[in-house]
Amino acid sequence: MIFDPLLDLLRGRAITIPPMDGAFRPNTALDDADVLAEMPAPDALAWHQGQLIASSGHDIIALGQGVIARHNAPVTALATHGDTLAVALEDGTLLLGGQSLTTPAPLRCITALAFGPDGVLWLANGSTRHQGQAWVADLMEKNATGAVWRYDNGQFTQVAGGLGFPYGLLPDATGVTISESWRHQLIRLQAGRQTAVLRHLPGYPARLTPAPDGGAWLTLFAPRNRLVEFVLQETHYRHDMMQQIPRDHWIAPALASGSSFLEPLQCGGIKTLGIHKAWSPSRSYGMVVRLGPDMTPVSSLHSRANGQRHGTTCALQVGGQLYVAAKGGDCVLTMAVAVAGAA
Amino acid sequence: MTLRERLQAWRYNLVPDHIIGEVLTKRWTDNAIPFLALIITVAVFGSLIPGFFKLYSLQESTRQLGEFSLVVIGLTVVMRGGGIDLAVGSIFALSAFAAVASFFILGAPVWVAFAASVVTGLAFGAINGYLIGYLRLRAFLTTLVTFIIGRAVYDILIVNYGSAIQMSSATSDIWDFIGDSTFLGFSVPILAAFVLAVITHVALTRSRPGWHVLAVGGSRRSAHNAGIKVQKTVFLTYVFSGLTASLAGFLIATRLSGAGPGTGAGLEILALTAAVVGGNSLGGGRGSVAKGLMGAVIVLVMTNGLIRLGYGTGTNQMVLGILLATAVTIDIRWLKNRHKVLNEVYVAPVYLALGQAQSALPDGGSPYALNNQLAAADHIGLGALEGPEDVILDRDDHLYCGTRHGEIMRFFAPDYTRFEVFAHVGGFPLGLAFDRDGNLISCVGAMGLYSISPDRQVKKLSAETNRSFTSIVDDARLRDPNDLDIAQDGRIYFTDSTKRYDAHDWALDSIENRATGRLLVYDPKDGSTKTLLDGYRYTNGVCMAHDNKSLFFAESWACRVHRYWLEGPKAGTAECVIKDMPGYPDNINRASDGTYWMAWLGMRTPSFDLSLRHPATRKRMARRLPQDEWLFPNINTGGVVKFDDQGHIIGTLGDLTGNAHAMVTSMREHKGQLFIGGILNNRIGRFNLTAANPDWTANDAYWGRRA
Repeated sequence: MIFDPLLDLLRGRAITIPPMDGAFRPNTALDDADVLAEMPAPDALAWHQGQLIASSGHDIIALGQGVIARHNAPVTALATHGDTLAVALEDGTLLLGGQSLTTPAPLRCITALAFGPDGVLWLANGSTRHQGQAWVADLMEKNATGAVWRYDNGQFTQVAGGLGFPYGLLPDATGVTISESWRHQLIRLQAGRQTAVLRHLPGYPARLTPAPDGGAWLTLFAPRNRLVEFVLQETHYRHDMMQQIPRDHWIAPALASGSSFLEPLQCGGIKTLGIHKAWSPSRSYGMVVRLGPDMTPVSSLHSRANGQRHGTTCALQVGGQLYVAAKGGDCVLTMAVAVAGAA
Repeated sequence: MTLRERLQAWRYNLVPDHIIGEVLTKRWTDNAIPFLALIITVAVFGSLIPGFFKLYSLQESTRQLGEFSLVVIGLTVVMRGGGIDLAVGSIFALSAFAAVASFFILGAPVWVAFAASVVTGLAFGAINGYLIGYLRLRAFLTTLVTFIIGRAVYDILIVNYGSAIQMSSATSDIWDFIGDSTFLGFSVPILAAFVLAVITHVALTRSRPGWHVLAVGGSRRSAHNAGIKVQKTVFLTYVFSGLTASLAGFLIATRLSGAGPGTGAGLEILALTAAVVGGNSLGGGRGSVAKGLMGAVIVLVMTNGLIRLGYGTGTNQMVLGILLATAVTIDIRWLKNRHKVLNEVYVAPVYLALGQAQSALPDGGSPYALNNQLAAADHIGLGALEGPEDVILDRDDHLYCGTRHGEIMRFFAPDYTRFEVFAHVGGFPLGLAFDRDGNLISCVGAMGLYSISPDRQVKKLSAETNRSFTSIVDDARLRDPNDLDIAQDGRIYFTDSTKRYDAHDWALDSIENRATGRLLVYDPKDGSTKTLLDGYRYTNGVCMAHDNKSLFFAESWACRVHRYWLEGPKAGTAECVIKDMPGYPDNINRASDGTYWMAWLGMRTPSFDLSLRHPATRKRMARRLPQDEWLFPNINTGGVVKFDDQGHIIGTLGDLTGNAHAMVTSMREHKGQLFIGGILNNRIGRFNLTAANPDWTANDAYWGRRA
């Protein structure tokens, strides 16, 4: 109605989020998937020397083999190029092929690493204000201090800044596609210009990995939630919340939820007659999206509000098999790509 | 406390925002806009036109107003029944002609002229009614046709007999009195309109035919299904409209002592505009005589005022058209959006700073520390039960509970696998208690206090208490009766949790947190119900102390337990015995060892506690988000807490897995076992108490052992 803009001044605009429809139509594929291994908070996945490796806290674990490396700080990102393994740590250390590099000062929140086809290493730095576990504070402070860097010929150079928590990188011959979590979008950086590739995602995007037959796999580590979006617009409440309440109990996205009775509850999340409704609003979710070669979503795999495989931070396809790290679900999942594509 | 917070506390606790929502729930708010328009119209034209309020001027205006109001009343009834009558103008003119012709040409007495006029109106109304009611033609087209034909007949008649009327010398004192004089300062038309308005109003709102008209206008099909004779009702509305138009026609005939070509021209548009501007819905089912009258005054004052200000007919018609368009637009938009507006403004949160609670975390080290013991409870009625808020056992160990379907279920001892519907009450049976004679007394959500005898006779004990002076919505009605207990003298003490929300919306009351909960007492001796205490944040469980000198009651959203003294020096007063609990208390019941069990329906969360100190945030939340997304207290986790007379916490039982007893709203100790209910659960739990007296039952403790 034509009066709505006027009435909105009095009543406040309704807060809306993109629906999970079309390619994002919910299913239970992640909850139905087989568990390859259970480990605390698996985060990044990579294929290294013929086997799948995953980061879990301070450790790097080879699936089926056990811990292959233990570091002084939590591992925040992995990437491989041929036999070269790149590992980023929360303290800012970058290990490249076993060699430790000191990174420039702003790089203390490396969220993703990726090698371009030319062997150049790309780095995503989520924030200059917070590190690792404190990502949620970065969101609730509405920061946009993320940046994308390149490491080439022994030189670190920043190629893009002012990003809202870049969390995934997909370099190709001409540029790089970046997932920008706090703005719920994928952007493309090419020849120094940024363009939005995929906007209005129904969740917070995490890592991007290439699919062998073109396109990519995108994970969303948390759902968008209208209450969270509302709190982001409520300055006083949000500041008091950040000051007075432990971070785990904030009204904020989470990798996993429901474990403590001190966490916030929304009306739709009330268990009725023993049922936790799958469609209820949730702070955590699991979602893997198959993107076509033009970066449009084709299909998706879900773990819904009543599921367990939440906080999906990385999906990796090797041959005909897809591996998914559910950081909130403390497990690495696996399924055949043929099955995943049909979901 | 920061200044900002203090200001918020004042703003939201002192300004009664909730009144807006309560006023909007009233049907009479529909009259607000027309009433405002009425005042503005009268004020504007009254000040623009000199002498507007002079007695003579008013009398002449009211004569015309009386006639016009009669027509509008008739049209209002038709519109309320879902129709429209465009023929009122021609019926009006023909009736006037009938009266004039009888009186001046035929020389008939006045009463014959009156009868001729009325018969003309009834006949035309009956034609309209027959075509629309029985032959089911479209009201708009049908009355348009009768309007045109009636007008044509009138024009023919007036051309042929106009001069005969003018040349007649018939006179009558009664005729002149009706047309010219006043009675007690009021002209006959205004008296006639007044009498008819009162009769019509009473008939529409207080009589069976009036309700039938409303029902037919609201929904023809539903009215038909309900057994109302729709065709006859529609027929009668048009006959009534014809009657009122003919009365007006007779009155104008006496006033003008003649009829001219212009009599009644354009009257249908005027009347229609008046009815709609007054707020009568074109769609039917909504409208009243008062609305019609307000519209009549607005339209008449406006048209006459414009003429007296020197504007021509064209301007007049245009103003009418604009008025009609505006009224129709407002009518449709209001009708469509009223419930949305109500939804958006109804929730009016207040400020509350709850005290810091002791931790209920399992390793929190406080007496409130929850555990997983209840996960081991057996289940009763799993899958067959929906919403056993309270549970109770009789002297034969049978187990009773209410369900959300309004039934009292009975599970048979000893294994509680067989069950039956003990009685159907309706509503949502919540708190339960047995009285001395074995009657099961229940607080039934949305209904009141009910008694079910051992032979299953359901009897209403109380559904209302005394009304408070400042209430807008009737707060005498019990909206959410929640729990009860019975004193030794038979008086029933019970709670009504909120005046603001219906029983099924109980959790919404926590968002608003307005203190409207009451403690009431029902006296079986004279059947009276009295309010003992008012102004608590969701009064909930009630339990008589073991010595029967006081009772405990829970105040859920404030996380407190109070003690109300029945006798002794503090009789009639309440004191807080437990405050700032980490959970929201629900029902309270006696334990065998002289202490008390209390259910926690949910747990406080830091984020919700903080939101209680941000009422503006909660208000915006209620407006900007759909209800499913609202922040709630955590009612997915509850527990059972044991406390003693002094309010010391003795221990807790919980189910942190949330699989069996996520939330707990009641528990009842019986022969060494604890039976557990939950309003959102699908089962009753049975938990073995290790250190309890295996012979103790509440029935014995309250009413003595069975002889």
